[in-house]
Amino acid sequence: MRTSVLARSWLSKLVLYIIIVFFLVFFLFPILWLLLSSMKTHYQTLVIPPKLVFKPTAEAYRKILTGGMLKSFKNSLLIAGVDIILALALSIPAAYSLARFKSKFNENIGFWFLSVRMAPAFGVIVPIYIVIRNLRILDTTFAVNVAHLLINLPFAIWLLKGYFEELPVEIEESALIDGATRFQALLRVVLPMSMPMVISVAILTFMFSWNEFLFAFVLTSDKGVTVPVLVASLAGTMAFDWPLMCAVSIGAMIPAFIFVFVVQRYIVRGLTLGALK
Amino acid sequence: MKEQYKLLLPSITITAGIVAFPTVFLLYVSLHQWVLFMQEIKFIGLGNYHSIVTSREFLRSFGITAIFVASSTFLTLLFGLVLALILTEDLKGKGVFRALFTLPAIIPPVVAGFAWKFLLHREVGVLGGYIFPSLGLKKSILGDPLLALISVIMADVWCRVPLMFLILLAGLQSIPAEIYEAAEIDGANYWQALRSITLPHLKGAIIIAMIIRFIDAFNIFETIYVMTTGGPGIATQTLPLFGWKIGFQYFNLGEAASLAVIMLIITIFISQALIRRMRG
Repeated sequence: MRTSVLARSWLSKLVLYIIIVFFLVFFLFPILWLLLSSMKTHYQTLVIPPKLVFKPTAEAYRKILTGGMLKSFKNSLLIAGVDIILALALSIPAAYSLARFKSKFNENIGFWFLSVRMAPAFGVIVPIYIVIRNLRILDTTFAVNVAHLLINLPFAIWLLKGYFEELPVEIEESALIDGATRFQALLRVVLPMSMPMVISVAILTFMFSWNEFLFAFVLTSDKGVTVPVLVASLAGTMAFDWPLMCAVSIGAMIPAFIFVFVVQRYIVRGLTLGALK
Repeated sequence: MKEQYKLLLPSITITAGIVAFPTVFLLYVSLHQWVLFMQEIKFIGLGNYHSIVTSREFLRSFGITAIFVASSTFLTLLFGLVLALILTEDLKGKGVFRALFTLPAIIPPVVAGFAWKFLLHREVGVLGGYIFPSLGLKKSILGDPLLALISVIMADVWCRVPLMFLILLAGLQSIPAEIYEAAEIDGANYWQALRSITLPHLKGAIIIAMIIRFIDAFNIFETIYVMTTGGPGIATQTLPLFGWKIGFQYFNLGEAASLAVIMLIITIFISQALIRRMRG
């Protein structure tokens, strides 16, 4: 990588900063506006021209904490948490097997891993919906968990397989010669070396589960509702409570706010389906 | 060694089942007359495919999808490239900018849709209710077919530029500095170096970005659903919204499945073509 070619004179630096500020406003203004509006009263959100200086109130947040909406946040956390555990527990041994034992079957399975990501969500949910309906577990967090796992698991295996393949096999082999079983070698040698990817998979699984809308929307109606479904249903009603909707949106963005400063290190490779190292 | 392989075999078998299940069953459903709340499920071959492809709404949605995908892909790549080029320069605070630029990409898409719906709202929106009207644009933004389409494209650009930016930034960082040093000794200026070194080296990253963007834009649902639900009329109804309507409002799962299979085939075909370009 080279550094600083355009930014040599103060004039060109100024132009670059102007472009950056333009994008900064474009990217951050909608989020800041939600934050600002979430602290207004209902009446204040209706005033045109909008007030920039006002006395902030936590009324909308109080409504979330005392009303029934907290349930959605609990559901979303539960689904994402269980999904991380299941995805890692199932994907690590599977990815390791695929990476270390080569066969025709292994080579061809790659397509299926990505096909579920390439297919439109309204299609993938059709078979899942039919099965969940027949099992009579609609409107449970478990149903959403299974649906999310079907997407997260192939993806987790895909990423971990790519990572395991790049690890040097010598250390593992010496452990095997010393009498360790394959499983011990995986647990004690391979896994500690793969922590960055494991963390990355955990974060991506969490993000997918937390952000996912359509599956949760189709599979739940009341008890199992997740945060994105709550946002969409609030946005679809006619009785607009703007500060409340903004506050729920801000709540939905909390994980993103937390991840934003670790995001580049752990997430780029995942977001690019493992294509970029 | 074989013995230990057997220990790991169960995990592969379970996984293979889980991995293959959605797409295989999807294909199966697409070949059947499968309507929710109707008892009879009948094999009808390509009947679902035929009724989808020959419907006028499919053609209309296909056209809207094409416009949406083409403009959103182009704009996100362009803005992403500009930002990536700027933030490889030696500027103060670029680490903070990079982190902040990532934010729209990792927030829930329904929140992105809601944020723009709120901004563009005719009565309470700071853009749609205040800034645009005072500039003379008095129409309801999301109520006008063309403006609504532009709005959903813009909302999509908003939350997907960051991803393109990150991919292209990673691509730029992998170009060795020596090549530039050599070019500089030969007297090449920035724009010459951009054309003859940066862009050719970035080809792989650009094509990966295009594939990911294409899949993503072709399958977009949440943002449009929250902003317009495909309206006004069907002016912003892209194929996924059309499929959702068939499957979960008309409960015709068979036809919805066949539309999903058609979309999956198109996706595979286009990504394969792009991958070939990357290798060729």
